[in-house]
Amino acid sequence: MDANLLSSYIFAVVVLNVLLGLMAYMTYLERKLMAAMQDRVGPNRTGPVGLLQPIADGIKLLVKEDIIPKHADRRIFLLAPLLSFVLAPVAAAVIPFGDSITVFGHEVNLYVADINVAALYFLAIGSMGVYGIILGGYASANRYSLLGGLRSAAQVISYEIILGLSLVGVFILSGSLSLVEIVNQQSETLHLGPLQLPNWFILSQPLAFVIFLIAAVAETNRAPFDLPEAETELIGGFHTEYSGFRFSFFFLAEYISMIVISLFGATIFLGGTDGPIRDGVWWLALKAFIFLFFYIWLRTTVPRFRYDQLMGLAWKVLLPLVLINILLTGFIRLWGLGML
Amino acid sequence: MNELMPEHFMFLSAALFIIGMVGVLTRRNVLVIFMCVELMLTAVNISFIGFAWEFSQLTGQIFALFIIAIAAAEAVIGLGIIMALTRQRDTVDIDEVRELRQ
Amino acid sequence: MAAEVLVFNLLSGIAIVSAAAMIMMRNPVHSAIALVITFVNVAAVFIMLRAEFLAVVQIIVYTGAILVLILFVLMLVNPDELPDFHGARPMQQIFGFGLGIILLAEIAVAILTRTVVAEPGPWTEDGMAAVGGNVQAIGQVLYSGYVLPIQATALVLLAATIGALFLGRPDEDEEPTPSRRTVATISLAHTRGSDQDEIPALSSANIKHEAGDRDLIMARDADEFTSTPEDDQKGQQE
Repeated sequence: MDANLLSSYIFAVVVLNVLLGLMAYMTYLERKLMAAMQDRVGPNRTGPVGLLQPIADGIKLLVKEDIIPKHADRRIFLLAPLLSFVLAPVAAAVIPFGDSITVFGHEVNLYVADINVAALYFLAIGSMGVYGIILGGYASANRYSLLGGLRSAAQVISYEIILGLSLVGVFILSGSLSLVEIVNQQSETLHLGPLQLPNWFILSQPLAFVIFLIAAVAETNRAPFDLPEAETELIGGFHTEYSGFRFSFFFLAEYISMIVISLFGATIFLGGTDGPIRDGVWWLALKAFIFLFFYIWLRTTVPRFRYDQLMGLAWKVLLPLVLINILLTGFIRLWGLGML
Repeated sequence: MNELMPEHFMFLSAALFIIGMVGVLTRRNVLVIFMCVELMLTAVNISFIGFAWEFSQLTGQIFALFIIAIAAAEAVIGLGIIMALTRQRDTVDIDEVRELRQ
Repeated sequence: MAAEVLVFNLLSGIAIVSAAAMIMMRNPVHSAIALVITFVNVAAVFIMLRAEFLAVVQIIVYTGAILVLILFVLMLVNPDELPDFHGARPMQQIFGFGLGIILLAEIAVAILTRTVVAEPGPWTEDGMAAVGGNVQAIGQVLYSGYVLPIQATALVLLAATIGALFLGRPDEDEEPTPSRRTVATISLAHTRGSDQDEIPALSSANIKHEAGDRDLIMARDADEFTSTPEDDQKGQQE
């Protein structure tokens, strides 16, 4: 077998396992941070400062009874959580974690694949992710679940458009859809008179960055856009009827897609592995952590949107803004090339 | 056949197109008929992209891109009509929609 | 056999089987899932045919948007009203499958006996790599030779959007609603009371007065229970 292919496979396995481990401690981080923000203590009984809490949670979910409702569409009911769970980490395959390194005399690229359409691939996997939710909602044979699924379908389709369009400005400036190429362009230095700035796209595309941030929160069904599972009105939305490990599949998928979309945002807008001193994967981790902190911060601060407000925000506010952004970026790019 | 030949993708395209056609002719649920139409459009796309690959040209790919765009427009209008139909007649059975015939 | 052919046969085999499953399934949601599998496999075939961009567009547009919309509409329709497939119209089925087999034979003969001859173009694998890849190649060709078709497509999409808005607008009520309720009751789960039989009329006889002189509110639905501004005014005039 091709040595390059083999190293890609091995790196994919490493990324997958790191993501799964991070996801477990993401739940711990969220609970601790939320507790701090709400003046509580948070989990502190299992292990030192509650560090074993995620493992205890996992064991608890594993041994719980697996209930399948009588009128459920059995096959789809079993398929839906798996679909969610499998698709969430797949999108991480295109994220570059740094330049290539040499291990045992082999050059290993720190990305699973550098494909020509990486950014679109990410969006495509994201758009497939909605199937888990909508099918889970349908198969449960429960009105609340169905409503959660329908809401989720409408919400994810709407915000998928916003998410995709907010990246178009970056594509225009970088001239590429490959994430490796986009990161390379961002590691250049920008000279603004005496000022030396990194060429991160957050500086040239601030509006797109803000819109991306909002759309990313909606895309992962997180508060304040967690309408598909709004506890106060839909009990639990699409996962009302799920229990035990099937429930946790949905839960884990949500956290993994949060981490993956944070990595993606850090790569596209914040320069990825580029940093002031010693470029490397630690900078990417730090930037992704800022995104994740923002997610948790939002959840504790902002109340849930009403459904019509959510759709109105997408179609009446964000869509026009993002189209204006594309138009302006296009003109500036043409001006920069001397064609205007 | 030791390498990928045009016959391969042409048979795939033909098979998918015919399956879609049979579906349109035999099913009565308007939504399934709709899905079959989408399948037929995709089958045609395979032919276009296959020929573009065979002759190292991009015209076929660009044609397929336009087909996908038109398919999206068609889907939006088609589903709008189906929604209006279910609201008015409360059915998705294509045989029960025969107002124009009477 | 070359690995390429093997992979192609596997992908197209799955695509054809699940497409066949799509038209045979009784439940349209199962049909939609089968179609998703077909589309994903077709996208993989596109990648084999050097069309990465179209493969991703295929997934985003077909499986990510169109099929999700179809599922959305499917779930709004009451599943009890779905017509049968098996045994409903024997003539229709014989005719449909017969026609399909005839067409397949016809196309098979055409594919196996004819050859297409054309001048090979510049976009081989190396030709695409020279401009940066499939996306860049499509961009160059599309925006140099097909600017007018793109604009026409944009107009079609705009017209479709407006048409969908027109078709999807809520029905205008036969009689204008009297006025807004002062107390808003929102039922998102179902239209009011449609999931249960007619509620028997309540009478004060079968309810014991426990609190003595307190008024009992007996309402069959939200309209009876909530008051409108007119009611309030009437009450004040009395």
